[in-house]
Amino acid sequence: MLLESVSTMDFIGTKLLDFLTYTGFANVEWANIIMIAVGAFFIWLAIAKDFEPLLLIPIGLGIILGNIPFKDAGLEIGLYEDNSVLNIFYQGVRQGWYPPLIFLGIGAMTDFSALIANPKLMLIGAAAQFGIFGAYMVALALGFEPNQAAGIAIIGGADGPTAIFLSSKLSPNLMGAIAVCAYSYMALVPVIQPGIMKLLTTKKQRQIKMKPARQVSQTEKMLFPIVGLLITTFIVPSGLPLLGMLFFGNLLKESTKTTRLAKTAGSALNDIIVMLLGLTVGCSTQASEFLTWNTIFIFIIGACAFVVATASGVIFVHIMNIFLPKSQKINPLIGNAGVSAVPMAARISQNEGLKADPHNYLLMHAMGPNVAGVIGSAVAAGVLLGFLS
Amino acid sequence: MRKILSVISFLVASSAAFAQGAHDFKLNEVYVYTPACCQSDSDKTCEQQASYVDEYGQPTSWIEIENISYSTHDIRNCFLTINPAVLDKTMSAPEREKLMSLIPAGDPRTSLAAKQRITFFADGHVNRGTLHLNFTLPVGEPFTIYFFDGNAVDLLDSVRVEALPAGSSYARVKDAQWQVLEADKVTPNAPNVAFSNDKIKEFKEKDPHGIAMTLMCMGVVFLCLILLFVFFHIFGWAMNRAAKLARVRAIRAIHEKAERVVEMAKQGTTETKGIDMETYAAVIGLALHEYFGGTHDLESGILTINQTQTTWADKSHELRVTPQHHQAN
Repeated sequence: MLLESVSTMDFIGTKLLDFLTYTGFANVEWANIIMIAVGAFFIWLAIAKDFEPLLLIPIGLGIILGNIPFKDAGLEIGLYEDNSVLNIFYQGVRQGWYPPLIFLGIGAMTDFSALIANPKLMLIGAAAQFGIFGAYMVALALGFEPNQAAGIAIIGGADGPTAIFLSSKLSPNLMGAIAVCAYSYMALVPVIQPGIMKLLTTKKQRQIKMKPARQVSQTEKMLFPIVGLLITTFIVPSGLPLLGMLFFGNLLKESTKTTRLAKTAGSALNDIIVMLLGLTVGCSTQASEFLTWNTIFIFIIGACAFVVATASGVIFVHIMNIFLPKSQKINPLIGNAGVSAVPMAARISQNEGLKADPHNYLLMHAMGPNVAGVIGSAVAAGVLLGFLS
Repeated sequence: MRKILSVISFLVASSAAFAQGAHDFKLNEVYVYTPACCQSDSDKTCEQQASYVDEYGQPTSWIEIENISYSTHDIRNCFLTINPAVLDKTMSAPEREKLMSLIPAGDPRTSLAAKQRITFFADGHVNRGTLHLNFTLPVGEPFTIYFFDGNAVDLLDSVRVEALPAGSSYARVKDAQWQVLEADKVTPNAPNVAFSNDKIKEFKEKDPHGIAMTLMCMGVVFLCLILLFVFFHIFGWAMNRAAKLARVRAIRAIHEKAERVVEMAKQGTTETKGIDMETYAAVIGLALHEYFGGTHDLESGILTINQTQTTWADKSHELRVTPQHHQAN
């Protein structure tokens, strides 16, 4: 009896010791702790500072989730383990089908009226894409391969889904860092952009009042996604997944006959994808994959990309103003909105405009280049994919 | 009528899809086994000859077909032959089928993923399985391989193969050019040209600083958005113009009616002369207003007579959604 109980105790002891080897405490490394702290910082930014909570909370928790240490015993729990639940969710990122679904939602939520009413604002959206190619050159100079440089450079488009889509195709090994960098800088747009905008404008220029935009007919709104789709995808078929879904979503909205579908695409479906995308992108930053010199370089290049994109948008407005008559001058504060962080960048134009003149409302004017930036960055991604895939 | 059109559209779409799938298959490499070569040729050739064998361990001649597309397609029910008689246009499909070797259905190996290949053994033993053909390839003499679609009529691809040196194969290489591959370069079930990402290599060599990429990509981005700008600039102008014209037409119509009504009022007649009573009443008001000098500028000219249902007029919006006593409970 005693012997039996001793052997039972031995068995329990062995199993408990074995169990302990499976716990996070037994497998933790300093890198995991650092990444968990980064995840917690993101959540703090989102909750306490209100920096893009819809993105940073899923990403922050994803970072924590992806860095919970566990024993590599084929339990199918890790993001990179085949058939694990997280791995199944991750396929949307890996195969690049979350970004087009996000674009569907963006299309269903976006009103292109500001752009249609004043089509010359489209050119600002194009000019701001210099951020992408400025970053491409910096990445090449730092020794990245052209395909990796393109994946990193797309951060300059300030468009998370586009960054994920392109990096999943061109540089999948850097995708986690690129995605986190893109979303982090998008959340930091209110911190990065105002300084550059002030630096490149005089007070007088910031006070320019723009003429109110004309009213856009429903026919024009309906025609925009169709014409936009045809023009952009005939020129850049490689941008089809993003541009196709963007304009499809917009047609659902503007056709006025599929309001229910547009509502679903812009709300429930979009929210589901944002949750899964944010969580899995966060999870993909496992310390072993994320804490590398490449990640540091990517963050440096990402910062350069945002600065160049903002500056090129503002400078391009100055150039346009040289050729425009006095009554049609554009306030250069809407130049920053050429990056496709919708609608944060446009809100910054509005806020800075109000600081210069409390009666100058730039929001609707800034929405023009802002949505043009979405199209521009998707086109840029398509071109890069076509050249390098 | 609509149903018939739908059926026709579906059939057209289906046939296009079928044709597209079959046309994505191309003859990729041909190898003729020379049984007697090992007695006279070098060891390397002999070794190569014996290295690729069928499921029965027999070295034999083979024909490789590649799916050149980026989609999965099934090659089942297509035909292969070296008999030139099948080119006779007057021959019926069943007669052609008798002269050709059918690739049977029901074998998952015939489904080829993007850029994948399948190799058929030309050993004349069709009973040995899906991958075996009912003909052999002639040794030391030229022949042509014909690859037909499932209808046994449409020729998908063909290649003329000259007499090959022992151990060599005839392969489709870069830019769809065919060339003889030496014994040690024969690639059954593998790409004929080693994979390399030439695009990235080229950019790395010729554009190390990214300037060319920047110029090209920015050019394309600007082109897309400039085209959109031009289209909507012109379209917006046209829409504005059309709206203005419509407004002018509406004002003219009202003025015409107003003149008629003023005329009628002057004459003291009460007949509306084809104008409905509501319009009549509204136009009298406008006409009198203008008649007595009320016109100061051009108005939109649109009269809203019909009742429009808006949320302002919606009774349900005036009701309490949750009565107070329910909230208290």
